[in-house]
Order: sequence, then structure tokens, then C-alpha cells
Amino acid sequence: MPVTQKDLMIKPKDALLKGHFACAGCGSALAFRHAIGSVADKAVLVVPASCASVYQGSGKGVAFNVPTINTAFAASDAVASGISRALKRKGKDDLKVIVWGGDGSAADIGIATEIGACDRQENILHVMYSNNVYGNTGGQRSGDTMIGARTATTPKGNTTPRKMVPFILIANNARYVATASAAFLEDFVEKFQKALSLEGFKFIQIDISCPPNWRADSAQSIEISRLGVQTGIWPLFEWDRETNIAVLSRPGKKYGDKANRKPISDWTSLQGRFRGITDKELIALEEDTERQWNFLRKFM
Amino acid sequence: MVVKQETKSMTGNDAASYAALFAKPDVIAAYPITPQTTIVENLSRFVDEGKLEAEFVIVESEHSALAACMGAAWSGVRTFTATSSQGLLYMAENVFWTGYGRLPIIMPVVNRCLAPGWNIWPDFQDSMAFRDAGWIQMYTKNNQEVFDTTLQAFKISESKDIALPSMPCLDGFVISHTTGQVDLPDPEDAFEFVGPYDDPVIALDVENPWAYGSMTGPDQYSKHRRDLMVAMERAKKKIIDVHKEFEERFGRSYGNGLIEPYGDDEADLTLVTLGTIGDEAHEAIDRLKAEGHNVNALRVRTFRPFPVENIVEFAKKNHKLVVIDRAASFGHDGPLRIEVEAVLKRHNVDTSVSGKIMGLGGEDVPYSAIIDLAKKELKE
Ligand SMILES: Cc1ncc(C[n+]2csc(CCOP(=O)(O)OP(=O)(O)O)c2C)c(N)n1
Ligand code: SF4
Ligand SMILES: [Mg+2]
Repeated sequence: MPVTQKDLMIKPKDALLKGHFACAGCGSALAFRHAIGSVADKAVLVVPASCASVYQGSGKGVAFNVPTINTAFAASDAVASGISRALKRKGKDDLKVIVWGGDGSAADIGIATEIGACDRQENILHVMYSNNVYGNTGGQRSGDTMIGARTATTPKGNTTPRKMVPFILIANNARYVATASAAFLEDFVEKFQKALSLEGFKFIQIDISCPPNWRADSAQSIEISRLGVQTGIWPLFEWDRETNIAVLSRPGKKYGDKANRKPISDWTSLQGRFRGITDKELIALEEDTERQWNFLRKFM
Repeated sequence: MVVKQETKSMTGNDAASYAALFAKPDVIAAYPITPQTTIVENLSRFVDEGKLEAEFVIVESEHSALAACMGAAWSGVRTFTATSSQGLLYMAENVFWTGYGRLPIIMPVVNRCLAPGWNIWPDFQDSMAFRDAGWIQMYTKNNQEVFDTTLQAFKISESKDIALPSMPCLDGFVISHTTGQVDLPDPEDAFEFVGPYDDPVIALDVENPWAYGSMTGPDQYSKHRRDLMVAMERAKKKIIDVHKEFEERFGRSYGNGLIEPYGDDEADLTLVTLGTIGDEAHEAIDRLKAEGHNVNALRVRTFRPFPVENIVEFAKKNHKLVVIDRAASFGHDGPLRIEVEAVLKRHNVDTSVSGKIMGLGGEDVPYSAIIDLAKKELKE
């Protein structure tokens, strides 16, 4: 059943309470509130080092209203595996074990751990919220940083393509893989719920805006995410192992056709991290975007 | 009354595996590394054959092996893993996370030296690098002690007033791959001794959600670490008590569980050791005494918590301690010697302390080498 705006308003439980430390306009905290809120009484969270380990709040004022285990940067999928196995032993496998972490852990330091859990078909869902940067440590390049982005470690612009983590997990036989955007929360929550209804290793990569690191206006956080979909930068799809078919999602469907897309510069121009981007870099970014679409089409 | 036991011959790794089998952990996760590998293999066989009802997580690294055990421990079930050398180093951040997080995971470490160069033989450099990680560390001298210590470790670590992980240490190959005699209790007797883990210190609960390991300011942080210090202190008595209870039930003991003296109470020279060199030292002592020398030995069984009071009390009656270390703190000295010396100094005991680093990278330390060392020290 599709999730409607109304369902989103009536949450069974508020998963993100007052006192969180997320920046104004943080797409990650927003996505957290909606997704985790939709399963709050059943969710067990595992959080690797990331902005989420900070924005959950501190001490007795922790704002995550679900059991939360903070782990070392690269450890979360293995910790989640252990929880899932223990819950199975205790006959509590109705609980949902969810890793909520950034692109740094999912694309870089924790990728071996994540593929390991996927390979073992651990019954967990990994949500990788991507701000394309190491946010927690002040905005350094990650394996999911876009070409042309000025980060703390690529001050002249990042030159390497994105790692395409969803496809890495498809290649490793995940049960379900999807992408989502903080601009389309209904779509995200629907995918999130669907993933949780399936047995095995599930993975969702969600695009979230990060105003401080993207040097963007926090009031435009959602608008930027929406443009990410409309420019084709962020393909929205879901893939299911049973069918081995990737299906474009409703809000992003028409952008599969390049003719319907807005120019990528509409998206880059709202973000200070792309200030000074050259035409050559812009073309390279377009090419990398097309590379992802071409990859995706092989599964369509 | 001591229960009936069956004498078997098995390797030290088998002994560790049987202790784990009898304690019935719910979740086991481990990754192969020589000389620990056969522990993992035994346990996966036990699970496959239905001898042990447990989740066995075939992880892709040691980092994940300990991480999976941590997840299971946070869920409130009994957990077991084992590693060695590079494997222990690879899991480093999780080793500290487990200790500082007070997760009662049991992890035998089959001691092996560290690369480079590649060498699979024993020394204690691996586990010594983790003496500050908040784990109970017990060094064993033979196969029987591996079984006994591993079984005791579950009971000690999981006690609500302790809540600390345990690292029973066994010398690679010398114990791990050498067949020896082990008296095995009936599995049910062994399990009865350990008891079920039905009142865990930590168990995540959706009805009563809490966050574990969130950002913590200096006040709370230092309070947590002080608590850990106090728990370690409490663990000394717990180790003695559990060791005594074990002795009553199974008829075996190792000194008081913290230290194991050998020979007369008072001597001109004492050999202080850890692990299998402690066993070898007995032979050296017997021979030296036969030649008319007044010597004895002290094996430190529990290195963390460090048995300060027992060592002080022992040293007061003795004249010269010669510490044999099988690890080095480069730029200083052998770690056991450093600690023994510091403890005596702090307690104003003027017994002299000297020492030698021996047996690195599996270099053999036969009783003859220990006798030579003792004779040289007796002359000085
Ligand atoms: C082993 C290790 N290396 C480095 C760090 C420092 N560190 C903490 S979070 C982080 C970056 C996280 O980036 P990402 O996963 O993208 O999450 P975000 O902060 O953007 O939410 C880094 C480098 C660490 N905690 N542990
Ligand atoms: S730095 Fe970015 S991802 Fe991190 S809390 Fe702030 S807005 Fe969110
Ligand atoms: Mg990030």
C-alpha cells in the first residue's frame, strides 16, 4: 500500500525527539524521523561513526527514541549481524535491525563489513544516507563525492567518479536494493517498509542535503534534493533479487529519459561546493551521471 | 565433592573449544588465523553436528568477528570468539570498545608473535599490546588449564558486578597444537558450574529504549572509566572465588587463581613467569634444588587485574625476583618486569628485581636456559 502524506503525519511514535544536534536543513535527520518513526516500536538501530552519532544528541538527552547502539566506523554491519543472530536465538526476530550510517562507512571504510553481511544474507537493513562527504569530520571527500565538488581534501574539485554502492550490493546478491531522496519521503518510507518486510540483507541509499558541507541555504535543502532527482544526478529505483529487475520509482521515472531532465547546473548552482566548477568538470559530472544510468539500464 | 571426570588427550585448542561447547554460547563469530584456527573449526563442527545450538557467524574478518560478538552481547546473550596475533591487532578498536563497553565476551587468544617477519610461533607481544583494553587476562601453562580457565572465564565475566570481557591466553603451538592430558567433566556438570546467562547486564529493549555509546562529556566519561577500574579491582576477588568454587567441584587449582607459587615460601631467588615458561620453570627449580640451590617460582596467572597484593605479600618473604618476559616494551623493558618492579617500589618492598626477555618469536626456552639464567643471577 503506498504511503501517503497523511500516513507520514500520523507517526506511531516520534523517533527523533527534541534535543537532537542536527544542523538546520539536515536531510538525514528528516529522513530518520520519518523512516524510523514508521517502525519505532520494532526498530533496533546500529549507528557507525557519522553525523548520526552526533545528531542523536548526548548523555541523558539522547533524542533517538529507539534502542541505539553506536559502533566503530567500520563495524556497524557486523554488530548488526550479531544483534540479528542473537534476536533469532531469543525468538525476537520480529524486531527490525537497521544500520543508519553515512557514505563514509558504507562506501569506504566499512564496505568490506557491509559486503560481508550481505554475503551472509544477514537479516538487516542498511540505510546509507549520502551527503557525498565526511560530514562529521568537517567535509572531506568520500568515495561517494561527486566529480567537481570542492571538499576539504579536494579544494580544487574532486576528479574521481562515484563508487555506485547500490550496484556493488546488487552484484553481491543483496535481497533488495533501492535509492531514495529526502525530497520524496513517501517514496523513501514505502521502500523502507518494503525492505523491512523482506528476509535477508537490504540496502537503501538515500540522497540527503547537507547545507553546511554543500555550502547551501538550509531553506533550500529539499529543493536541492528535488533538483538532484530532476537533473538525473540521483536516479530513483528499486531492485529485487527475486526479479533481478530494477524499476524506476514514480517520482523519478521520467528522468530516465535525458530529454526530460533539467540541466545539472540548476543543481550545482545552488551549492557553494560547486562554486568555480569548470565546463570540463561539469561535462565530466554529466558523463559520470550517464555512466550510472547506463549501468542501471542493464537491470531494467 | 569432586565430580566424575573423563581423562582425554587433546590439544590446547581442543580444550578451549570444549570449554566453549560446554558453556553453550548463543552466538559465536570467528575468523581463522594460525595457530587459533582449529578452535574455530572445532566450534563450527560442533554447531554443524548439532552438538551445540548456536548461531555461528562466518565473518569476513576479525574486526567483524568481535563486532558480531559485541552486537550479540548487547542483545544479552552468551558469546564466544577466539583469535591470535595479527587477528587480534586487526580487531583492535573493537577490543577496546568491548572492554570499555563492559561486554562480557570470552575470547581465548592463542599467543603468537607479531610481523614482520612472518612467524607463527609464540610470544606474548599480541595480548600484551591490549593490557589496557579493559579485559581480564589470564595466562595458562598447559592444556588442562586452558579448559579450566576458559570455563571459569564465562562465570567471572558474566557476573553482574564484574561485566568485563575475558581473554584466556595460551601459548601458540606449545599449548595450542600439542596434545596433552585433559580431564573433562560431564558437559552438564560443566554447564551447571557456569550457569545460564539469564540475567544479563546489558540487553537492548524496545519497550525501554536507550542509546549506548552516544557522545559523552568528560565528567561521565571519566566516571565510566573509574567504574571500570573498580570493576577490575572487584574481579580479583571474583577470580579467587570462582577458582575456589571450581576447585571444590572439579578438584583442580592454580595457586589462588591470581598467582601460583611453586616450591618453598622463602628462597634466595624466585623465577617469575607467565604462561608455559611457568611450567618449564618448575623443572628448572626441581633441578636447581637437587643441586642444593634455594630457589622457588611464582607464575602470574592473572595479569589483568594485576594481583598487586599477592605479589607484594609473596615478595616480602623473598630476596631476589628474576622476571622472565616473553614480550618487550621497546624503549623500556619486559612488561611483566616493569609492573612487578613498580608494585614493589610503591609498597616499599626492597626485594631486588631483575629480568630477562626470552622466547621471542617462538625461540625455545628450555629448563636448561632457565637454570643458566638462575645460576648467573645467583652469583650476582
Ligand atoms: C577508524 C576511524 N577512522 C576515522 C574516524 C573519524 N571519522 C568519524 S566520522 C567520519 C566521517 C563520516 O562520514 P560519513 O560516513 O559520510 O557520515 P557523515 O559524517 O557524513 O554523516 C570520520 C572520518 C573514526 N571515527 N574512526
Ligand atoms: S553536517 Fe550535514 S549531514 Fe551532518 S548533521 Fe549537518 S546537515 Fe546533517
Ligand atoms: Mg557523509
